[in-house]
Amino acid sequence: MITVDKAVRIYRRGKTEVRALNLESLVVPKGQFLSVMGASGSGKSTLLNLLGALDVPTSGTITIEGREISRLPDDELSRFRRDRLGFIFQFFNLLPTLTAVENVILPALLSGRARGEMVPKAHALLEQVGLKGRDHHRPDELSGGEMQRVAVARALLTEPALLLADEPTGNLDSRTGAEVLKLIREATRARNLTVVMVTHDPKAAEVGDRIVRLADGSVVGDEQTRPQAA
Amino acid sequence: MLQLLRLVSIRHLSLSPLRTALTVLGVAVGVATLIGIAAINRAVMGAFRSTIDTIAGKADLSVSAGAAGFDEALLDKVRGLPGVAHAAGSISLIAPVKGSPGERLYVMGVDLLDDGFFRNYEGADRDVGHMSDDLEFLNSTDRMLVSEGFAHAHGLKAGDVFALLTPEGTRDFVVHGLLKETGPIKAFGGLVGVMYIGSAQVAFGREHVLERIDVGLGPGADADAVKKTLRDALGPQYEIARPDRRGQSVETMVRSFQLGLNLGSSVALLVGVFLVYNTVAIGVVQRRREIGVLRALGATRRRIRALFALEAMVLGALGSLLGIPLGTLLAKVTISAVSDSISSIYVQVNAKSVTFTPTEMIVGVALGIGGSLFAALRPAFVASKVQPVEALRRDMASGAAELNSFPTAVAVVLLLLVYPATKIPAPIENFPVGGYLAMFFILMGTTLLSPLVLRALQKLYQRPSELVLGVPGRLAADNFARAPARTAVPVSALAIGVAMTVCIAGFVGSFQKSSEKWIDQSVPADLFVTSSSKVAGVQNVPLKAEFGDALEKIEGVGAIDRLRIFQHDLMGLRIFIVSLNPEVYNVRGKPDVREGRLPTPQMREAGYVTISENLGRRRNLHPESTFQMDTPTGVRTYKVAAIITDYTSDQGTVFMDRRIFIEQFRDDRVDNFEIYLTDPRYLEPVRREITERFGTQYDLYVLSNQQLREEAFALIDNAFSVTYAMEFLAVVLALLGVINTLLAAVLDRTREIGLLRAIGAARRHIIRLFTTEAMLIGLTGGVIGSFSGYVLGYIVTKVVGVEATGWDFSYIFPYRLALQMMVAATVCAVIAGLYPARRASKLDVVEALAYE
Ligand SMILES: Nc1ncnc2c1ncn2[C@@H]1O[C@H](COP(=O)(O)OP(=O)(O)OP(=O)(O)O)[C@@H](O)[C@H]1O
Ligand SMILES: [Mg+2]
Repeated sequence: MITVDKAVRIYRRGKTEVRALNLESLVVPKGQFLSVMGASGSGKSTLLNLLGALDVPTSGTITIEGREISRLPDDELSRFRRDRLGFIFQFFNLLPTLTAVENVILPALLSGRARGEMVPKAHALLEQVGLKGRDHHRPDELSGGEMQRVAVARALLTEPALLLADEPTGNLDSRTGAEVLKLIREATRARNLTVVMVTHDPKAAEVGDRIVRLADGSVVGDEQTRPQAA
Repeated sequence: MLQLLRLVSIRHLSLSPLRTALTVLGVAVGVATLIGIAAINRAVMGAFRSTIDTIAGKADLSVSAGAAGFDEALLDKVRGLPGVAHAAGSISLIAPVKGSPGERLYVMGVDLLDDGFFRNYEGADRDVGHMSDDLEFLNSTDRMLVSEGFAHAHGLKAGDVFALLTPEGTRDFVVHGLLKETGPIKAFGGLVGVMYIGSAQVAFGREHVLERIDVGLGPGADADAVKKTLRDALGPQYEIARPDRRGQSVETMVRSFQLGLNLGSSVALLVGVFLVYNTVAIGVVQRRREIGVLRALGATRRRIRALFALEAMVLGALGSLLGIPLGTLLAKVTISAVSDSISSIYVQVNAKSVTFTPTEMIVGVALGIGGSLFAALRPAFVASKVQPVEALRRDMASGAAELNSFPTAVAVVLLLLVYPATKIPAPIENFPVGGYLAMFFILMGTTLLSPLVLRALQKLYQRPSELVLGVPGRLAADNFARAPARTAVPVSALAIGVAMTVCIAGFVGSFQKSSEKWIDQSVPADLFVTSSSKVAGVQNVPLKAEFGDALEKIEGVGAIDRLRIFQHDLMGLRIFIVSLNPEVYNVRGKPDVREGRLPTPQMREAGYVTISENLGRRRNLHPESTFQMDTPTGVRTYKVAAIITDYTSDQGTVFMDRRIFIEQFRDDRVDNFEIYLTDPRYLEPVRREITERFGTQYDLYVLSNQQLREEAFALIDNAFSVTYAMEFLAVVLALLGVINTLLAAVLDRTREIGLLRAIGAARRHIIRLFTTEAMLIGLTGGVIGSFSGYVLGYIVTKVVGVEATGWDFSYIFPYRLALQMMVAATVCAVIAGLYPARRASKLDVVEALAYE
């Protein structure tokens, strides 16, 4: 479960202040797939960064799995990210010198876990995301869709409390994008993972259980989507 | 174009101020060492020459016969020859100043009656125009006119007494008056004393001896004709020359020493140029899009090329301008070390001040700018190949330039040329072009090959790095070889610094090992007694022979070998003649005879001598070869009996029987009393007795065999200390290159750092990532440097050294030092990497993710 309470993020640049996010309250129950929409500059990425423990709110609190992450020191935040969160960005998700498998196990390796113990799990995950036989390819030998799949596999590896995706399909054509979305949807539903996904694409947003709309940093719309046929 | 430079280049440079500053500093240090060393070399030679020139005064010709001098009766003979209007005899010597260690006074004994024609002295506190009437001065043996500079330094005024070391021990001299530092008094850095020739001869044990006669021609007399007259009348053993011709053998002698210094300083500039290459190449990669935009907007390829060339030249110009004051500083700090080294090995000079000539400054700036331009050629070419469409590309400029096969091919060709290059004969004495060329080929060859080596090493580094340092280690190994063309630059720069250090250490170590063996075998005496210098040779004061009689009476002294170690010109070389007692030496020592046999007494009588290995090699002498040598008793022919190993002088050594030497050279003074004890137990008592009884009076140094060995080592070390310092500078510059490269890497991989942080890498992971990469750069530089240092050391020992010294040492690779250098390079690189690493770890995650 994720709780955001009176979270405000203000960017100061010289004398001007930008109130990028001003969120009264947002609660995401466990296992929910939340799509976040809004115009450019409405604060979507800011919200995601706060949820992803990449940034801390100027005021207010954010709790994930009962843990207040808005006031943690940097090292704690890092540990929290690698153990409890999964990320999928729009592009440049993978380290170019690592193979697909290595990219998948990277967070685990950073936690100091043994390579041998993680590799079989990574192989299985890569097979699940439809990349059987591509395990040892490097990012420059993969297509955009395949790279996003690797990112999905990586996000699933540590069985995180929350998966965050910032326009994961923004760089893909509509067909590939739809496939990746479907993959995320199915993989997270099977594991009962909470997902927060930012997107511009209304069709993509429909994949979620719920759509929150932001404008000027505040929630202006919050609706459940019609349950979709699996 | 300038608009473009301002908009594109200057802005880019000022956006990465640290990197720009490091580059400018690199060029500055390179230019500074180059012009600094050039100026020092010139200043030292200039100090030597100016002593000759100022002393020569207005002489048209001078007659001399080396340091041995000749009988003063010759003066009358010269005076009587047609065409000679004036002739004045003189001696000069360099006397250590008692109570002021290291300081020496240049004492001229001049013939005041006629000397006024050649040289003008200006009194500071009295009129010295009529010294020839000053009986007090003429009749004394201790009155001296001294330069104001010397007087002030010691708080002396007329009538005061000071002490100098003479062959008869310490002697008091009375200041007769002070001389202004003009004309000849400017010689030897202004530390000059003038005595009446007769007084000087007595005071310094040179009775009836002259060292030179200055000749002034009569009106209308032709210099060449008079020269011929003199030659015919005096005989061939005299050098009759215009004063400006003298000192050439000295220049040849110190050439290899000075070349070594120049080599060291050019390495520093080379590394500086590497830094420029690095910076410009990084700039090109980081501005691909910008270049694409420029191209799309209609900039021609030529314009892009010119832009980057100009940018490099701006860096070079800034560096060069900074290099001039830096070079002045460097030269000021270093000149005394160089001057001391030359004084202890070759010839006594007193060079204290150094200034740059406009030419040196122009050459320095030109090399700084030209070197930078050269460094920019390739990056500028790469830049001009950027397609306009790149303006539109969104992906990261990874800097991963693909490996080019052209440099590799060039590298192979260069390395193949190394061997033939070593066979190129030296065009002039002590100037081993081939060896230096071979060294350059090795340095450039390994540099061009290093990107390939980096790729190969990456595979090697991956596993161990990951095992020891975790994923950051593995990623560092990957990153290390990701932009091999770029990472290769700091690696090569470090490798060059390490290689040169190892190379010099290899030569020095081989030299020292050989000398040690030589001293063990061939210099077996128990105690060595010299005056005013620890080692007999250039700087000691020769003592009168009778002093040995007093030593002989000391209990425990078995035998004494009286050595005269005497610098003399032979076949265009300034060699040493070592005269000793073969009866003692051949029994006690075991000279390492390389060719021939040590001469028997009969053979010695018949003109057979022993020569050193390096003299034999330099002049192609073998047993039974003959050569002629000027002596005060005429030109004599000598025959080589044996060639032995000897490290007295890098120019060459001739060994003579002391008895025959005295006969032929009319000089029985002794530079070194080599004492053989009846029993080793007497070492300390004998030494104590000598020191207590004679130490102060004669300013003695009494060295045991072990101390002599240490002294020889120190002498060799000192000779290379400045070169070492420059290689050390080169390594430091290379470390700036490490910082530079890593700063650029941080910038290029900002997104990657953001990504790593997002998926959970902590700050320390990022620090480890970059410090490990720095470590790998350092390690690789150290390893490549040690390897090429091995080969360079071999070439320096076996090619350059053989040409420059005539000695052929067996090469000993300095394993310990090479290992230390590898460790040091690695550790220093890590330290250099800390700043970029810290910077990377401090990046704001969100901003890093948004960076493009
Ligand atoms: N580092 C920053 N400094 C100053 N202002 C910022 C910064 N990051 C974001 N902002 C501002 O905060 C507001 C919200 O930005 P945010 O990136 O969250 O928008 P977004 O909804 O993700 O937009 P987009 O759809 O374009 O990605 C914008 O007005 C933006 O200009
Ligand atoms: Mg956004």
